Amino acid sequence: MPTIIFSLKDLNSLLHKKISLHELEKLMEFAKGEVENYDEQTDEVTASLDDTNQPYLWSAEGLSRFFKGIVGTETGIPELKLEQQREEIVVDKSIHPIRPFITGFIARGPQITDYMLKQFVQLQEKFCDNYGRKRRNASIGLYSFKRIKFPVHYKAVNPESIRFVPLEFDRPLNLKEILAEHPKGKEYGHIISHHDKYPILVDDAGKVLSLPPIINSNDLGKLEISDTEFLFECTGMDEETVNLGTIIFAYTLADRGYKIEPMRMKYPKTETITPVISEEKTKITHEQIKQLLGLELGESEIKKLLEKARYDYDNGTVTIPPFRGDILHPFDVIEDIAIMYGYDKIESQPMQTFTVGGTLPLQDFLDKVRELATGFQYQEAFSTVLSNKKLINEQARFQDAGTVEIENYASEIYSVVRTTLIPILLVLLSKNKHIDYPQKVFEEGIVTRRHGEAVIDYEFLTLASTHSLVTFTEAKQAANAILASLGMKGEYEELDHPTFITGRAAKVSIDGTEIAILGEIHPQVLENFGLELPVVAVEINLTALFGMKK
Amino acid sequence: MDAKRIAETLHPLERKVLPALRKAFSFGDIVKQSGLSDVEVMRALQWLANKKLVTITEQTQEVISLGENGLRYSTEGLPEKKLLIFLGDSKVPLTRLQQESGLSPEEFSVSIGTLRKKNAVEIAKEGSEVTVKASGFGKKFVERETFEEKFLKRQFPIALSSLTDTDKLVVEELKKRRDIIKIEELTVRSVALTETGKQVLLLGVQEDAIDRLTTQIIVSGEWRTKPLRRYDVLADVPQIHPGKKQHYRQFLDDVRRKFIGLGFQEMTGPIVETDFWNMDALFMPQFHSARDIHDAYYIKEPKYSKTLPADLVAKVKAAHENGLKTGSKGWRYEFDVQRTHRHLLRTQGTACSARMLASPNLKIPGKYFAIARCFRHDVIDTTHLADFFQTEGIVVEKGLTLRHLIGLLKLFAKEFAGTEEVKVVPGYFPFTEPSAGLYAKHPQMGWIELGGSGIFRPEMTKPFGIDVPVLAWGIGIDRIAMFKLGLTDIRELFSHNLQTLRKGGKE
Repeated sequence: MPTIIFSLKDLNSLLHKKISLHELEKLMEFAKGEVENYDEQTDEVTASLDDTNQPYLWSAEGLSRFFKGIVGTETGIPELKLEQQREEIVVDKSIHPIRPFITGFIARGPQITDYMLKQFVQLQEKFCDNYGRKRRNASIGLYSFKRIKFPVHYKAVNPESIRFVPLEFDRPLNLKEILAEHPKGKEYGHIISHHDKYPILVDDAGKVLSLPPIINSNDLGKLEISDTEFLFECTGMDEETVNLGTIIFAYTLADRGYKIEPMRMKYPKTETITPVISEEKTKITHEQIKQLLGLELGESEIKKLLEKARYDYDNGTVTIPPFRGDILHPFDVIEDIAIMYGYDKIESQPMQTFTVGGTLPLQDFLDKVRELATGFQYQEAFSTVLSNKKLINEQARFQDAGTVEIENYASEIYSVVRTTLIPILLVLLSKNKHIDYPQKVFEEGIVTRRHGEAVIDYEFLTLASTHSLVTFTEAKQAANAILASLGMKGEYEELDHPTFITGRAAKVSIDGTEIAILGEIHPQVLENFGLELPVVAVEINLTALFGMKK
Repeated sequence: MDAKRIAETLHPLERKVLPALRKAFSFGDIVKQSGLSDVEVMRALQWLANKKLVTITEQTQEVISLGENGLRYSTEGLPEKKLLIFLGDSKVPLTRLQQESGLSPEEFSVSIGTLRKKNAVEIAKEGSEVTVKASGFGKKFVERETFEEKFLKRQFPIALSSLTDTDKLVVEELKKRRDIIKIEELTVRSVALTETGKQVLLLGVQEDAIDRLTTQIIVSGEWRTKPLRRYDVLADVPQIHPGKKQHYRQFLDDVRRKFIGLGFQEMTGPIVETDFWNMDALFMPQFHSARDIHDAYYIKEPKYSKTLPADLVAKVKAAHENGLKTGSKGWRYEFDVQRTHRHLLRTQGTACSARMLASPNLKIPGKYFAIARCFRHDVIDTTHLADFFQTEGIVVEKGLTLRHLIGLLKLFAKEFAGTEEVKVVPGYFPFTEPSAGLYAKHPQMGWIELGGSGIFRPEMTKPFGIDVPVLAWGIGIDRIAMFKLGLTDIRELFSHNLQTLRKGGKE
């Protein structure tokens, strides 16, 4: 979910209309976004945009173009006037297996300001990172036009054959060294590092513009404040993304008053003029609108709403603005009709069909068991499912019962899915040593265990009791009482388990299936948890028990 | 309370102590008079003082009490006396006397010294041997008690201030010897009856009032002949703690009940999910930015599931790649079949909805909900947990539209957040079109996002063979729970503070 920063005054001037912060907040809802913050001192708006498929909205220019339709100052597909093509980029066949697609155009217009440059860089970064799959599918470069000798050449070269000074550096490095030493090389180098040759953009005099998709040169690749002409290029692995980025930038720069001069991309066998202004069309019907939105709209209203959303519409055919890459299905267009109609104006309709509600049989069973446990004066606890092996296997001395471990955990404390609840309740007791005794707690919850290739969730009920006089008897009483209340009877067997005192622990089976363990916690375990009173615990596998009941 | 009433309420211990106070004023005397133990008398006096029947005053005094030897000598007699008795009329060699007298070497030498000073023995040297013999004066000694012995038999402790001049001399003597007497500071309690106390005594305290009602008393009819003691029902009693359900679970139980009441069936799914059910089946492209390694927890082993239905995987693959003839272009990339089998911890309850849509038990029309534990790769703080709950659901029925969805969302806001001040705004989810966000106005915090919703895209439902609209929604139930329970830190939903748990959630 991208977050962008822009000046409210700037947005107003792009919009040719003064809107208040409150009005902006309302308008942002149409863009599936939100004003997160407004700094009155700097006039800076911070806004987040939910739709990861609409990069054309990730700039003040894009938002203003969209808002114009809503406030009614400009509707339908905005026109993008293109100048006569003059310059070209020559694409060498060596680049094809590495990063095959490139587009470019030249923009001429007002002197670039610091603010504008920041806006362009912001859009470039958001587009390439959030939409261009972190520069893999598309990456963008802007260059000062006046010092470039055309045509520009796009080719693949031996990484050690070329040296240049990258941005933010003061000495020349070869391409391999840039990947190893430059921060951007470290971040994005993996996109090209597995190839023998790396992509490079050089001008006709052999001066380097950039090493796509990593870094521009500090010479030709440096845009300067007060420049009035510059070269835009976009390279990538995905043609559609490259074209979309190009058209979004062309519109953005045109919104700023720049004239867009297309360029010829001279591939070994073909040629294209970029930016490519697509004219994609789709068909929608009144029936579809009614089916999806529950609204019966007339032809003229549909046209009005679609033009407000900056589409063109004629008799069931919708033309999609070239900067929109998010229309997969006619329903995407119909959603925009609903948005422009106004969600707040859509009258809600109640459900009409009667359906019978209910819970899952297992859930009913679990709730019943929880009732029982509270009836025995045990206080219910509720803990997070993520835990760690140190707690379960070392402190509480459980053997590994098929632990599901997280590969990319954020904190070691939460690095596995718990396999038992006993250690969790021991942690709880250890935090409450100053609270009055007896302390009786229970938790019912999921534990997960791996059995070979299968991973299975179980619902466990675990009870723990601690006070100066507690013994095995109390644990057994609790286990018996719960089983008896469920109309079941278990067979006890001595249990040798490092968590419990030998000779004071048992396992319970029904029809040969182990369904519970219980006992007095071993003093070494108590010591590990800093507990100073005896503790007994019972752990019942409710999933197994439930299976038997059926 | 009047004196009569107090008299009836007295505890059996108080009934014994109070009459003793007619004659006794010091703690020791009361113990003797009442025949109770020190502890019992202490407790009774404390209760009586609470009822303002007695006043207890405390004073510190210097007192003499017996040391270890003193205690022994007070019963066994002084060691020099023992020596004289042992000697009798005979003359005994000093070495033999020492061996056979039964005294410790120290006691022996002190005793000989004392007896010599008092001229009670005659010591002579005969050849190489020293002999001892009781003198006439010594023999008289045996017959009567010395001042020291008399003193040791008195009741201790004795206040230093109450000693006579003779006593003082004796004390000086005894102090010279080891561990016979010691002088210490003592807090002395003296007890006096108050006016009410005297009244209660005048009314008479029946010592045999029935305290605990026993089987014997009930069956024998003894209760007819004796009064039943009145209890102080206003007195504090020790606390007990009932077993309570945990506050957050109770809230979730309520949510479940509400859904059932609204005609929803519960659905479920495993917490260790696959990329397939968690995301791919929801038409989330595999390159989607929310599928980053930094957002989901992936499982170390087993890395891949072996239980995915191959035909469904193939259809989902086609939907991603080309739209599966739904009129959609699809996401137009090569779907990674191995990746779809990758195990991860469920990140969204929508996984349960996808499983329900694929289930042979799905009923159309049908309403379903899940209260699902979900996991996101997050730093734990006051608003984030690695482990949280989402309530998620679907309504599957022919003819449903965005209008029904908006109606449903408003109903949820009313039922779960208790507010009718809601707004439904455009939203985005890769798997719904149209999509809507639900906001409710909180009296203090302004507009709060309650959840997201939408109508499942045809590209998502078609692989399951479903051709009717499916309304889908998810509600961040943790946040609503915090409002309802008055919590500001999300971690308190899973509090391990027993006092908080016993109180039902609030610190």
